[in-house]
Amino acid sequence: MEFNAIQVLLVFIVGFICGIDQFSFLESLYQPIVTGAVIGLILGDVQTGLIIGGTYQLMTIGNMPVGGAQPPNAVIGGIMAAVLGISMKVDANTAVGLAIPFSLLGQYGVTLIFTIMSPVMTKADACAHNADTKGIERINTLAMIALGLVFGIICALFFIGGATFGTVISAAIPAWLMTGLSAAGGMMRFVGFAILLKVMISGELWGFYFMGFAAANIVVANTALANPALIILALIGFGIAFWDYQIQTKFKTAAPALAANGGDEEDGI
Amino acid sequence: MASNETYVIPDTYQNTTPAPELDQKTLNKMVWRSLFLQGSFNYERMQSCGWLYSILPGLEKIHADNKDDLAASMSHNMEFFNTHPFLVTFVMGIVLSLEQNKVDIPTIRAVRVAAMGPLGGIGDALFWFTLVPITAGITSNMAISGNIAAPFIFLIVFNAFQFVIRFWLMNTSYKMGTGAIDMLTENAKEFTRAASILGVFVIGCLTVCYGGTKLGLVIPNGTTESYVAHTTTVPTDEVSSFTDQVYGTDGKTALTGKDTAGNAATAGITDLGNGYSEVTYMDVVSSPVTVNIQSILDGICPKLIPLGLTLMLFALMTKRRWTPIKCIGLLLAIGLVGGFIGIW
Repeated sequence: MEFNAIQVLLVFIVGFICGIDQFSFLESLYQPIVTGAVIGLILGDVQTGLIIGGTYQLMTIGNMPVGGAQPPNAVIGGIMAAVLGISMKVDANTAVGLAIPFSLLGQYGVTLIFTIMSPVMTKADACAHNADTKGIERINTLAMIALGLVFGIICALFFIGGATFGTVISAAIPAWLMTGLSAAGGMMRFVGFAILLKVMISGELWGFYFMGFAAANIVVANTALANPALIILALIGFGIAFWDYQIQTKFKTAAPALAANGGDEEDGI
Repeated sequence: MASNETYVIPDTYQNTTPAPELDQKTLNKMVWRSLFLQGSFNYERMQSCGWLYSILPGLEKIHADNKDDLAASMSHNMEFFNTHPFLVTFVMGIVLSLEQNKVDIPTIRAVRVAAMGPLGGIGDALFWFTLVPITAGITSNMAISGNIAAPFIFLIVFNAFQFVIRFWLMNTSYKMGTGAIDMLTENAKEFTRAASILGVFVIGCLTVCYGGTKLGLVIPNGTTESYVAHTTTVPTDEVSSFTDQVYGTDGKTALTGKDTAGNAATAGITDLGNGYSEVTYMDVVSSPVTVNIQSILDGICPKLIPLGLTLMLFALMTKRRWTPIKCIGLLLAIGLVGGFIGIW
């Protein structure tokens, strides 16, 4: 396919913005329905871009970043579907199919970035301990720029390389490395849970952790409750907590009264 | 790393005099910042750094007079945080109202954790399962028919909804939090305990709902034998040779099994009356058996691995004084080694 340096730069910019936007900012610019039209504009075929974007968008509905899960990456998938569809002159559905391997690569990329960013939180802790507000702002901004750069570069490279490049890359990464990385990525959140438990739990509250664990197991076992699971669980938790609050405040008002009565009796003796 | 060990987040602020209420301009500024909640998203703390980034303008105003208090406030707000990005301003408003009134840090922490969990489900339901399917569904069809207005309509509707919710939640919850302060301070200890109970309960739930770690390990465990039914037509005087394969060893009970298509079948003999009989008989077929470790674990209790890992990390942090970074390294090693020997 014929393309010039300006087009590569524009695709890079689209990748950069959408890479950031998929998690931050408007969280809607990255949707394929938008990127399809934008890529179409860059490549000089808005109409085809629109159609491919719409087709890809329909596929991603119901495949959203729900509950912290990472679906096949819609940024790279949407951009590549439009690039391939316009350059190879295939119909919209074929273009969407061709873009799937790219979207999976994008998903791995996101997993990798989220894993790499985990140790950086120690630096953020240090900034917080020193009340270094500028440091926190810098970390958040730089992380975003890094994410944008990775996506911009990936999109530009894929744009230049086209379909063959993606297949070569996919085949070059050993499967065990990818499964290992994504397994490790999936486990990182337990560190966060453990930190919270460490600061919140005193010996007497352990029972409530296991209660939550057990209640959640029951609720998620019912697939009909998959989406409202946490709301239902929070209501159960709220009920227990509210009950405890009422009992504890009653104790507090009852205790002095009891002590006063006890005192009277002692006086009497 | 070292700072994690040496810095201890206090339970109370040094200056406990409530700060002046935050003005509308600061609240609005924080709503804009909340757009970058996931700027430094990562698997360990998820949105924590972005969360702190979002509420910083408020914290700086509230703790303007005491740098130690600002450090304490920033440090406890760097702890694990994850909620729905579009609904985060609700948590922001409540937490800021507590910070402004210099409530004890364990109370603020407990409220933050208790508020962030359920919002995830509400936001998913509201945005990803309702707003996006409706707007994107309609505009996709417009786009496929070549209507250039489609992307613009999608962006305008989606973002109008998003911003109304962000601004409204910020203001409502900030006012609500301030109004609830008197009740909170009067029974602060009991309230903190109750909020901690809800928080700990929610972490237990998150262990299940967000914990997806599973073993893919399958161990071969010998073979099993099963009956496969075949039907044939033979001369009636030859039927006796099938008796074993129709009635089994006791010679009376008809065998049951599955036919080659996988449907349930019962063996039997039907005399067709023309000197031939239709015989359904059973062949013995052996097939390999595997043991799926994960389903055995699930049989004991589902999500045992997320529970075990969380408790292990908790023990390492409290008993061995491991830093979070060391825990991450351990998990990375477990993941990669596990990937190499193929247990995932």
